[in-house]
Amino acid sequence: MMKIIKVNEDVCVLCHLCEIACIVEHSESKDILKVFKREKPRPIARCAVEEDKPLSFSLMCRHCDDAPCVKACSNGSMHRDERGYVVVDEETCIGCWMCIMVCPYGVIRRDERRQKWNLSTKCNMCPDRDIPACVEVCPNEALVLGDVVECT
Amino acid sequence: MKWMKNLKTYIPGDFVVVRDDNKCIRCKACVEQCSFEANFYDDEEDRVWSWDGHCVGCQRCVYICPTDAIRVEPREEIYRHHENWKIYHIKGIEKRANFGGAPIVSMGTDKEYPIYWDHILLNASQVTNPAIDPLREPMELKTFIGRKPSVLEIKKSKYSKTKIPPQLELEIPIMFSAMSYGAVSKNVIEALGRASEAMATCFNSGEGGLYKEHYKFGNRLIVQVASGRFGVHKDYLNIASAIEIKIGQGAKPGIGGHLPGEKVSKEISETRMMPRGADAISPAPHHDIYSIEDLRQLIYALKEATRYRKPVIVKIAAVHNVAAIASGIARAGADAICIDGFKGGTGASPQVIRDCVGIPLELALASVDTRLREEGIRNEVSLIASGGTRCSTDVIKAIALGADAVYIGTAALVAIGCHLCQQCQRGNCAWGIATQDPFLSKRVNPDIAAEKLINLLKVWSLEIKEMMGAMGINSIESLRGNRLALRGVGLTDTDLNILGILPAGA
Amino acid sequence: MHIVILGNSTVAVAAVEAIRSIDNMENKITVVSNEPFFTYSHPLLPNYLVGEVEEDEEKFSYRRKGFYEQNKLNTILGDAAVFIDKNAKTVELKSGKEIAYDRLIVATGGIPIVPPMEGVNLENVFTFTNLTEVKKFKTALPNIKKCVVVGGGLIGTRLTEKLSIYGVETYLIELLERLVVLALDDYGAGLIRKELEKAGGHIITGDSVKSILGEKKVCGVKLASGKEISCDAVAIAIGVRPNMDIAKNAGLEVGRGGVITDEYMRTSDPNIFSGGDIVETYDLTSNQRRSIPILPIAYAQGEVAGLNILNREVKFKGGFPMNSMKIGGIEFISMGTVNPEKDAEIIERKYDNGDYKKFIIKNNCLSGAIFIGDIEKAGMFNWMIKERFNVKRIKDYFLKEDFGWKYFDRDTRNLRISRQLK
Repeated sequence: MMKIIKVNEDVCVLCHLCEIACIVEHSESKDILKVFKREKPRPIARCAVEEDKPLSFSLMCRHCDDAPCVKACSNGSMHRDERGYVVVDEETCIGCWMCIMVCPYGVIRRDERRQKWNLSTKCNMCPDRDIPACVEVCPNEALVLGDVVECT
Repeated sequence: MKWMKNLKTYIPGDFVVVRDDNKCIRCKACVEQCSFEANFYDDEEDRVWSWDGHCVGCQRCVYICPTDAIRVEPREEIYRHHENWKIYHIKGIEKRANFGGAPIVSMGTDKEYPIYWDHILLNASQVTNPAIDPLREPMELKTFIGRKPSVLEIKKSKYSKTKIPPQLELEIPIMFSAMSYGAVSKNVIEALGRASEAMATCFNSGEGGLYKEHYKFGNRLIVQVASGRFGVHKDYLNIASAIEIKIGQGAKPGIGGHLPGEKVSKEISETRMMPRGADAISPAPHHDIYSIEDLRQLIYALKEATRYRKPVIVKIAAVHNVAAIASGIARAGADAICIDGFKGGTGASPQVIRDCVGIPLELALASVDTRLREEGIRNEVSLIASGGTRCSTDVIKAIALGADAVYIGTAALVAIGCHLCQQCQRGNCAWGIATQDPFLSKRVNPDIAAEKLINLLKVWSLEIKEMMGAMGINSIESLRGNRLALRGVGLTDTDLNILGILPAGA
Repeated sequence: MHIVILGNSTVAVAAVEAIRSIDNMENKITVVSNEPFFTYSHPLLPNYLVGEVEEDEEKFSYRRKGFYEQNKLNTILGDAAVFIDKNAKTVELKSGKEIAYDRLIVATGGIPIVPPMEGVNLENVFTFTNLTEVKKFKTALPNIKKCVVVGGGLIGTRLTEKLSIYGVETYLIELLERLVVLALDDYGAGLIRKELEKAGGHIITGDSVKSILGEKKVCGVKLASGKEISCDAVAIAIGVRPNMDIAKNAGLEVGRGGVITDEYMRTSDPNIFSGGDIVETYDLTSNQRRSIPILPIAYAQGEVAGLNILNREVKFKGGFPMNSMKIGGIEFISMGTVNPEKDAEIIERKYDNGDYKKFIIKNNCLSGAIFIGDIEKAGMFNWMIKERFNVKRIKDYFLKEDFGWKYFDRDTRNLRISRQLK
């Protein structure tokens, strides 16, 4: 069964390290110091921490079964990869934001640094890792990898 | 950098936060994590600064910094050396003079008093009686806390004819000491409860009553009745497996408790059965206990309320005539006595009390055990040693000195993140332990904390078994009060005499 | 089973993907299209026109290369269907070929609305809904210096922007007083107008083209106001209407807004399904059945049609218009009914940085929204419209810059985030 990142708002400590880890993982060097000291532009974090103290939690793509973003994509760039996760084909994405328009969680970001064609940026469940970077870095298990218990 | 220095009250802090700016990536995690506002971000300069004076040395920023850019160092003392006027004394005077209040501190005394545990060594078997390998042979740590009958009549059917008084059955002789909901957060208690369940030992509610979510831990719970009587009612007494009357505690012998009104949240006010936002004051004495006879009345009132089904423990601080007091408590009908040494102290107390009132646990424990044996009533009470137990060897030494079981408090908190910064009384514990701030208390994840506590107890149990095995003992019962297993090093004759142990080599 | 799909765009692809996700390639699928192209991305046509993207680029295709082979599709491209015999279950093609089907999906899409005016048949009068037309336009483009775009809707404005940037002097003629009437309000339309003018376009509102002038080739237009504009080309972008003649001739039930289907996307004939720009769709925000020619709805309907062909009993309960667009420096998303009736509650705010948000609430349900600039959370509102979420307690937070799940009540938030609440 496909695992997704489960969010436990009760133990989020608002350290934002999930965002940092995400930026590092999606950078060129994958080296935290090089990313923050040298790489420009820096990647955009695909998870975002929402804060309203004491409440805080990080949220990223939920990889919906009936992903509306995949259905709304104007040229098939938003697709499911072989693992079953919803990912963007960066080569073909044209940044039309149809995915943003329909994403029921509001977790797709705009990367407008690519000049001609903007780029939709979202959690891709770290294809190069067994455990996503944000889950691994979370100091308090507020993000864990777990099975989906889905009901309607 | 913001102007943060108030020169009317300024006293140099104890620490310096050293940040390697080359490694700082401005993620601001340290800023968010420091609940003492020692780190802050200046967006004009794009730099993270530290206000060293606020740093309490809790290491939270060091822990969270993703690039390891932060170190917390002791601040170099800049005063001219004076043997009599230590920095500690000078700063102590300044604090009192500047703020006009007695400093409140916590986590037991940090002063240099002898630690007897470190002068006691354990025995091992050689040749004449074989050592036991705990990985191959069964070893037993099972402990019963409660009054034991003097004579046991056994029927032919092998069942006891003598009625056994209520006992608290523990798989390991290590329990979690009293930390109230109010002093520590809900998540900490949840973790203590889960670990107690998993390890079949007990934790103690402290004097703050029992939060409704924690009733599920009833069969692994000791409830406390203290001078403030917070949250004491029929269900509270009956849900527990034992009841503890707190007369005094090692952190602050002779002193009551004070939970500031800010900490009395909705949940706490419900649990303690008191108005929200009001200061929760535990008086120094129990106002209905002025004699051993009065204590007996309370013990029996509690036994009556729980139909004589639960052992009643009386907890006292280790003070000068602790042996005589313990004898009186045993005679008043207590099933167990907890002796809390002055190094103990998950409680906040005035600095002077913490640092020089009470006596070390080791001496108190030995003298109580000796006295009760001399009076022939050692079997009538169990002894629980508490206060400053740091490791499994402390536990095993306490048991050999005469304790039935040991309470750990600080060690448990350290396992779940406490760095002994001694700021519990301030209520903004950066590790989410001694706080009721709903944002900070999220920092203790009960799942992780319970697992760490279980690990600690498991490892300590294994270490105790290893040491018992080395001594050729396969049951903790055989070690209890067995002071021949101990030898002292670097101790005076008087110390050895009180501890009732021989010097090493003898 | 032989499934024949008339059309080769969103609905067809959605249906194929739905069928192939469950049928183990057991069914034979034939895709028939009058256009001889690999399935392409309609929203990219304006970019294609001005050469920002070429036909052979991956991003111009609606699916990646090999889509037909991987899904084992028979394709008949460049041969239009001309008649459906629903009793015999056959489709007759223009070439005379006849195909028998077990199930048919009619997804012939929309055709451009061309007003009956003088001169529409002149050379250099273009429409803008399919690649065949746009190719003609593209071929002619290097020789076009001045162009009139008729219709200030979404396509018309995008076309005006692209042409202006490309260097063609472009005049946009809109009958109504403002642009993008269906998707934006006055404020948003004003911003779009400014952006178009910044790009060099000339905007004429409240006027219409009465006739196109020219002998053989376009040389100008005459407006209703009497004004004349000389130009080398006219692009008609008034909108699309359902391309449903074939369905009508087959005897399928049709309404004003298109072919009529049930919730299973089945037409009046049990073996024929439909979806996309050709059908009437129930608009959840205005409670009307009408044509909503947008890509997300076409995909959803195609998917539902595909699944129901394999008896999966999936329903399409309705949709609502939604659009995401970029004109110059302005990004906007609009959804639902944005020009409400009087009784609706409106929450709106213009932010200091030029962003704009507007929400239309009716009976405690969101029925429309406009986002300009800050659009990243737009999808959450889309979900609220779709699920008819009761916004009574949350609407006060809608305008906050940091609007997010934190403003929902704890249970809703956690059930949603853990995917336990649809």
